[in-house]
Amino acid sequence: MNIDRQEVLRYLGYRNAEPSPEVLHHIADCTEELLQACTPHHIFHREPLRLVSPNIVSFAGITVHSRSLFQHLTGCTEVILFAATLGSPVDLRLERCSKLSMSRAVIMQACAASLIESFCDECQEPIAVEAAAKGLYLRPRYSPGYGDFDIAHQRDFLTVLDCPKRIGLTMTDSFMLAPSKSVTAVIGLTAEPQSCHIAKCMTCQAKNCPFRKG
Amino acid sequence: MEIFDQLGKRMLFFDGAMGTILQENGLGAGELPELWNLQKPELIQQIHHSYLKAGADIIKTNTFGANAVKLRGCGHSVQEIIGSAVCAAKKAVQANGGTGLIALDIGPTGKLLRPLGDLPFEDAYAAFREAAVCGEHAGADLILIETMSDTYEAKAALLAAKENTSLPVFVTLIFDEQGKLLTGGNIAAATATLEGLGADAIGFNCGLGPEQIKELLPQLKSCCSIPMIVNPNAGLPRCVDGKTVFDVSPKAFATSMAELASMGAWMVGGCCGTTPAHIAATVRACKEIPPTPLESHALTVVSSYSQAVPFGARPILIGERINPTGKSRFKQALRENDMDYILREGIAQQQSGAHILDVNVGLPEINETEMMCRAVTELQSIIDLPLQIDTASAETMEQAMRIYNGKPLINSVNGKQESMHAIFPLVKKYGGVVIALTLDEDGIPETAEGRLAVAQKIVDTAASYGIKKKDIIVDVLAMTISAGQGAAAVTLDSLRLVREQLGLYTSLGVSNISFGLPQRENINAAFFTMALQNGLSAAIINPNSQAMRKSYDAYCALSGCDTQCMDYIARYSQQTAETAPVAAAQMSVSQAIISGLKESAYSAAQELLRTKEPLLIISEELIPALDQVGKDFEKGILFLPQLLMSAEAAKAAFEVIRAQMDASGSESQVKKDKIVLATVKGDIHDIGKNIVKVLLENYSYDIIDLGKDVPPEKVVDAVKEHHVKLVGLSALMTTTVVSMEETIRMLRQETPFCKVMVGGAVLTQEYADMIHADRYVKDAMDSVRYAHELFGE
Repeated sequence: MNIDRQEVLRYLGYRNAEPSPEVLHHIADCTEELLQACTPHHIFHREPLRLVSPNIVSFAGITVHSRSLFQHLTGCTEVILFAATLGSPVDLRLERCSKLSMSRAVIMQACAASLIESFCDECQEPIAVEAAAKGLYLRPRYSPGYGDFDIAHQRDFLTVLDCPKRIGLTMTDSFMLAPSKSVTAVIGLTAEPQSCHIAKCMTCQAKNCPFRKG
Repeated sequence: MEIFDQLGKRMLFFDGAMGTILQENGLGAGELPELWNLQKPELIQQIHHSYLKAGADIIKTNTFGANAVKLRGCGHSVQEIIGSAVCAAKKAVQANGGTGLIALDIGPTGKLLRPLGDLPFEDAYAAFREAAVCGEHAGADLILIETMSDTYEAKAALLAAKENTSLPVFVTLIFDEQGKLLTGGNIAAATATLEGLGADAIGFNCGLGPEQIKELLPQLKSCCSIPMIVNPNAGLPRCVDGKTVFDVSPKAFATSMAELASMGAWMVGGCCGTTPAHIAATVRACKEIPPTPLESHALTVVSSYSQAVPFGARPILIGERINPTGKSRFKQALRENDMDYILREGIAQQQSGAHILDVNVGLPEINETEMMCRAVTELQSIIDLPLQIDTASAETMEQAMRIYNGKPLINSVNGKQESMHAIFPLVKKYGGVVIALTLDEDGIPETAEGRLAVAQKIVDTAASYGIKKKDIIVDVLAMTISAGQGAAAVTLDSLRLVREQLGLYTSLGVSNISFGLPQRENINAAFFTMALQNGLSAAIINPNSQAMRKSYDAYCALSGCDTQCMDYIARYSQQTAETAPVAAAQMSVSQAIISGLKESAYSAAQELLRTKEPLLIISEELIPALDQVGKDFEKGILFLPQLLMSAEAAKAAFEVIRAQMDASGSESQVKKDKIVLATVKGDIHDIGKNIVKVLLENYSYDIIDLGKDVPPEKVVDAVKEHHVKLVGLSALMTTTVVSMEETIRMLRQETPFCKVMVGGAVLTQEYADMIHADRYVKDAMDSVRYAHELFGE
């Protein structure tokens, strides 16, 4: 698990600009604090996938009406339902930091965002190895709320994976994950090897997102 | 059979998993198992029966998720489901010849409590109360609160069960292999909290297999004085072919369970993956093992949600700064509802090494109970130190103890009948360690023997309420030596007497000793050392005071409680290098602000105040610098962290200037127009709003920050109360923009004079227009610009 400095700077809006030494110092410091505070957990299930029609996919008893998810999963035979969290102690640190210094708080926030992504990537490695043994490849993670994949499906992920009990991951009435630095996602399994090079951002429909890569 | 007739006389057995067997019978992932009580009661009864046949003494009803939060929208009431579940269990017991106890199973709501999530403590309590009452009514013999990974939620459930039923209540928690709850708490902290609240037994369930719990049980045993339960999974979950399985065999499970029984568990059973075969094997392996006698630990310990702080090892520092007495700035914060100020006092003390924070928010003109509950809630959401609830009002004390997530220190009780009568029932009910002041109806005894006698009286009276000595700390009272020089000696003698004769731990508000004298720190620090030497266990001090800190660190090194002086060395070895402070680079106020250097801005402003009018510094240095930074941000040559660093630097400069103006009696800079900021209902992410706040404050707007997850009515009320002309609303997600729209609608109706600006990750100009906002602000600077436009900057 690590925090990617370039990624953090991108979240903070630095494109190619050089950050000040203070900012770099804060990034290093927040990285250390978060790595020490976080209590990462994850869980996943592998489930068969049915591509019902160009805007309906179904897995684990969940039927999703979404054109973008259909596109994303086209060519897949199975999916991994995945959930991960950095744990509530990270939220406590973020909250505490925002009382002391907002400049540091935005940096810590960006560091935590990078950390959860890196944690998810790390969790995915053994999954990828296992899939590879069967000649399958992983598509990038796709989460409720991306494209036209209704965020209300957050509930299905938490229920099917039994997230509150297994990894302490819950959601609010408005489908926000709590602890906040958490991810739920579906990962397609496909026999097409080229799907691996698709950068996550390129498949996302939020085209004016400031954090979009590429 | 009554549980207490059997408990401790022989090993008692819980049943195993219910969910696992329901899944084998076709329960789909995501389907509510509790509905099967209504749909397939015979199957439920049959499962219970198979466990009773396997030798279980206690069967858990199929009600893990039977609470209003989880069942919402399922079409059946909690009463209906719990009624049918208990009924199925009863039938199974009848079929077993009437042998078997029914535990009403209460699992977590599946939501995180505020402020980590959006479920209010009171709502969790209400949901658990409903379940507990239904369970007792339906005929359950006891209540098992299980699989709790948050002590706060466990507290809500335990309180609800205790206050609304007369059943025994057991609590089991889900720990990871490191002995941590998912919310970060450890075994000692959870035990202190739950034992304090009067749980009848506590223990482990789920999460781990018996082998892993073997590593953790000794930890629980070392701090737990009540019966222990172990209901593990059939091993650690393993992922086989994409699915989670638990696959420790009945034989292996039973072998480990026998070890756990020998180690001190009085009740054993199973959780996920265990079957009647596991329980049958466990019963065979354990039934002849005699229960280990309970150990009564005389541990004096307070806890936060995450850590326990024991008394006795090293003297405890209780930070005294959260207290308005003699602090005008603090009083102002209380009057203005400035919670951030209070929180910063807390954080600073934690950083200075305080072990516990005293919380006193009593001020005649404010609602103390409300403020105390808010302060406790907010402090415990950002600081993991135990709190000392400090109030003269029993009502405030009770409400604060209710919502406190841990076992608090209670300040205070004294030898007056009235005080003991008010406080002891609260200590008994909610748990806590109480500070006992050695004074009574006759005042403060002048001799050490007199104070000892009052302490003895308090201890005796406490015992009659069922409160043990270990939960009392005696404050023998430090009186100022300026009123009588013998005062110090009496206090020191009293400390020794209480330690030696009563064996109790002691505390003191140390700085009282110097009241009325100049340079009080000199006296305080020396007296602190003397008191420690005479047996002081906990000192209520200002941990930010260097002098007190040095006394403490030196004492710990000298007395040997700082092993090999490790802490002393760690703290002071680097400081020698810092003795020659680097001369602050000569920087102008505006340069310092543009560079985002807080300390430099502070000292440059201080310097400049010698030669320049405060108001001129603001208009000629601060504001132009801020404008410059704002422009650079908008041009994309300076980024958010620097913008905020500059804002913080400007704030530091403002503070010096403001202090100077206050001191000179000149009209302090008048705050500008008021702006209400809120993150809308349903939204628990407020970083964007906080950024906006920092910048608007920089331009001297008076911000009324309503926080996050704010209901529309609250926004309207604030706008009405302060007659505010501008509201800023933030929302992060499409799902919460709905609340934003609703808030705007209500504002339009009730306060048409007020403009609304909106911002947040998902918002766009189109969205803002659609919900009828007056202005979409794309970033924090944009909100400043709009405020300027509106208020005619």
